[in-house]
Amino acid sequence: MSSHILQVQNLSKVFETENNRFTAVDSVNLEIHGDEFFTMLGPSGCGKTTTLRMIAGLEVITSGNILFDGQDFNKFSTFQRNIGMVFQSYALFPHLTVFENVAYGLHIRKVSKTTITELVNHILDLLVMSELASRFPPDLSGGQQQRVAIARALVYNPGMLLLDEPLANLDAKLRVQMREEIHRIQKDLGIMSIYVTHDQEEAMSVSDRLAVFNQGQLMQVGTPHQVYAKPQSLFVSDFIGQANYFPAHITNRNGSGVQVTLTKGLELELTSLVTLNKDEVGSIEPNFDGIVMVRPEHLSLSTSDSASLSCTVRRIMFLGSYTRYIVNCQDSRNEVFVDSPRPISGIEEGSKASIGIEEPDAILFHKGNS
Amino acid sequence: MTPANTKSDDKLVRKFDWLPYLTGILTVLILFAFLLYPISKSVIYSFIKSGETIDFANFTLYNFERFFISIAYQKAFMHSMVVSLAATFFSTLLALPAAFAISRISMPFRNVLLSLSVIPLISPPFIGAYAWITLFGKSGIITHYLQTWFGIEMPIIYGPTGIILALSLSYYPYVLLIVQGSLAAADPYIEESALVMGAPRWRIMRTITFPLVIPSIAAGAIIVFIKALGNFGVPAILGGEYYVLPTMIYFQVHGFFNLNGASAIAMVNVLLTLLAILLMSHVNKGRGHVTVTGSTRRAVQINGLGARIFANTYCWGLLLIALTPHIMVFYSSFAVRWIGTLFPTEFGFDNYFRILSEVQVPFTNSIILASSATVICVVFGTLTAYTSVRRRFFGKWALDLTIMLPFVLPGIVTGVAFLTTFNSGWIILSGTSTILILAYCVRRIAYIFRTVSAALGQVDNKLEEASAICGATWGRTMRKITLPLVSPGIIAGGILVFATLISEMSVTIMLYSARWKTMSIAIYEYVIADELLDASAMGSIAIVATLLLVFLSSKIIGKSMAEMFR
Repeated sequence: MSSHILQVQNLSKVFETENNRFTAVDSVNLEIHGDEFFTMLGPSGCGKTTTLRMIAGLEVITSGNILFDGQDFNKFSTFQRNIGMVFQSYALFPHLTVFENVAYGLHIRKVSKTTITELVNHILDLLVMSELASRFPPDLSGGQQQRVAIARALVYNPGMLLLDEPLANLDAKLRVQMREEIHRIQKDLGIMSIYVTHDQEEAMSVSDRLAVFNQGQLMQVGTPHQVYAKPQSLFVSDFIGQANYFPAHITNRNGSGVQVTLTKGLELELTSLVTLNKDEVGSIEPNFDGIVMVRPEHLSLSTSDSASLSCTVRRIMFLGSYTRYIVNCQDSRNEVFVDSPRPISGIEEGSKASIGIEEPDAILFHKGNS
Repeated sequence: MTPANTKSDDKLVRKFDWLPYLTGILTVLILFAFLLYPISKSVIYSFIKSGETIDFANFTLYNFERFFISIAYQKAFMHSMVVSLAATFFSTLLALPAAFAISRISMPFRNVLLSLSVIPLISPPFIGAYAWITLFGKSGIITHYLQTWFGIEMPIIYGPTGIILALSLSYYPYVLLIVQGSLAAADPYIEESALVMGAPRWRIMRTITFPLVIPSIAAGAIIVFIKALGNFGVPAILGGEYYVLPTMIYFQVHGFFNLNGASAIAMVNVLLTLLAILLMSHVNKGRGHVTVTGSTRRAVQINGLGARIFANTYCWGLLLIALTPHIMVFYSSFAVRWIGTLFPTEFGFDNYFRILSEVQVPFTNSIILASSATVICVVFGTLTAYTSVRRRFFGKWALDLTIMLPFVLPGIVTGVAFLTTFNSGWIILSGTSTILILAYCVRRIAYIFRTVSAALGQVDNKLEEASAICGATWGRTMRKITLPLVSPGIIAGGILVFATLISEMSVTIMLYSARWKTMSIAIYEYVIADELLDASAMGSIAIVATLLLVFLSSKIIGKSMAEMFR
């Protein structure tokens, strides 16, 4: 059981070319403990991979600190940091067998021959790869190469495991299977892991905590549920899961919440409030005070006219465990997604309906008090 | 557990990655001392009158004025232009139909044809040049038949006709290989979409296919022009009284030992080369769109009987004519008695036995010089390639440019530069093996640089990162991961360098001494002494040795011989 602590403090990376300055990572702060499975998530170019590469020592830090168990990591070269890393392309040495690939790091650590054989065989067993030990990487399937890369990264008991989009080159089914396997082994060995991906479903399913990045900035850190249910920015609400947005006017503030009115006059009582930062304030439509965000599963559709959010059903998709309705609604910014556990009788494509909002689960993003 | 399993505290300091910088600096020093310095010195020499010391007061345009005063200089200049332009024109003209045929008409043994096309490139043109004399000379075989059967009088082979013929047939494969390569790599969908839109084949050819390969044609043509302009062997053997710039340089050095005059002629030669390169970059401006496709699909092949007959006849016929000198060299190497008759009257191995005693010294010399130069080339070429591909540093373009410089400088110019630099002054090397080895090195280091750069481009940088993550130092990563992976490239490049050096002519002719006579010099001396049978025997040995080595090298990196020269 590991009790390491990784602290990332004010970490920045600026790439400079002759006539261009590009801030890839902007003052990022993080703290990761023990055997946590930590994921850095974001669209491509958001700085997550650069952050990971700085932790590995593959990229020079522009400013900030990385501390591992209180020691300044920047004083160590990559080869002195004792970390394991799995690359997207696996980066297996094509001229070495599976066994030699896995044993590479042990040879460098001057481990005795018998111990090497023992350790390599053990980790290959753990990954169900023992039978392929004498094969060369180019002769293996993608999934098998992936396992070798993981074995190579873990065999010398590194202080932490870094994974840079390790599943991106696998097909959909294998991806689900492998991520469960990575999770299992990580918990078995109790090793701190930092995982980089752009796939939010993958991130949600394996992480203890995740960090959402955008344009070099760390937007939010939290458990998958926290990030999904309580997004702190419009970007996170949109990037994680599906979101519906309704521009709103604030009509009344009281102690525990606010009253808002949507375009067509529907009144809502909301208790979850988020003040937007200056970058996102501009995305609120002029003449409105804020935006109400509701997840599709917190909306409902009915044929009755009782609620005043009227809409037209454009498309119905039966997706197995739930049914998704895409409806046009004048109160909403875009088309509204409504997820229902079962098909609603009486509603077909083209029919008129009305939308119900579960107020406790809706969030108001607003401009602030000014 | 703390990061890094290091034992003592003094190791817990980030190690400075000094090795790449050291190798970089070393390479720059070598390039400076043995490439830029000699060339600059010969530039200065060209502005000083022969016999006078290097001093600003002695600065004169005398050597260049001779191009306006001396008829011999003017003639040599004109001759060089005529011969090089004509050779470029005919090479391109011969190569284009073959390139289109090979890539667009279905033909059997396409790859064999391409591989055989490499032969004229790797065997030095001068070895085959005198074979044209036995065919087209006054009492040559073909001259005789043309006269007796058709009554046609052949123009005299000595002079421009012979030189242009020999150069065109030696160099057309450059255009063929480059153009065919880009035609084969062109995206088949582009032509197909034109076909779908209703364009007839000839129109596609004129408006799509041809414009897309113009940069390749220009690239091939420019190589031919540079090579023809710098070629010494062919005009030396076939020129007679018809002097061109390289033979003029040789004449100045070996006749009068006028290094200043030679330098000036060399500068004019370089100037023409640079003009040609400028012209090419102008032609290619805005034509940067390379349409290489990832798909392995080939363009639609033309299957008509007429087209196939034309393609096969033309391509194989052209190859046969281009290989005629080589075949003739072989043929006459087995001729024992060939005096005053059209064909030899007796065959055997006598020539080989006779030269056996004489070939040993030049053969050994060639091997020693070529292998020493190859080792140095491999070490520094590899280091430079690694530095250039893997590191980002200031002035990288200058390094890339410098190392490719000898690629465009005629060998005889490098020879003059070395002679002027190391004949006097701090380091005196003339007449030694060192000067030959160093000159060979700077001439060929670009070969290693290119093959190793290409090989390194294939090795994902992530492999080196993965090795560092596992705890390996830079040195260990190089030894265990990078070098093993690029070694086929290094070995192939090394063999290629070695193969082309054992019969190197244009640098050698300027720098050799009685002690360090090479194979190519020995052959040249036989030809000059009119001992053609002996020359053929030795030439055959040189051609076969070179060919086998290049073949070996192509097997090692698993590329076809044609691909190695593209």
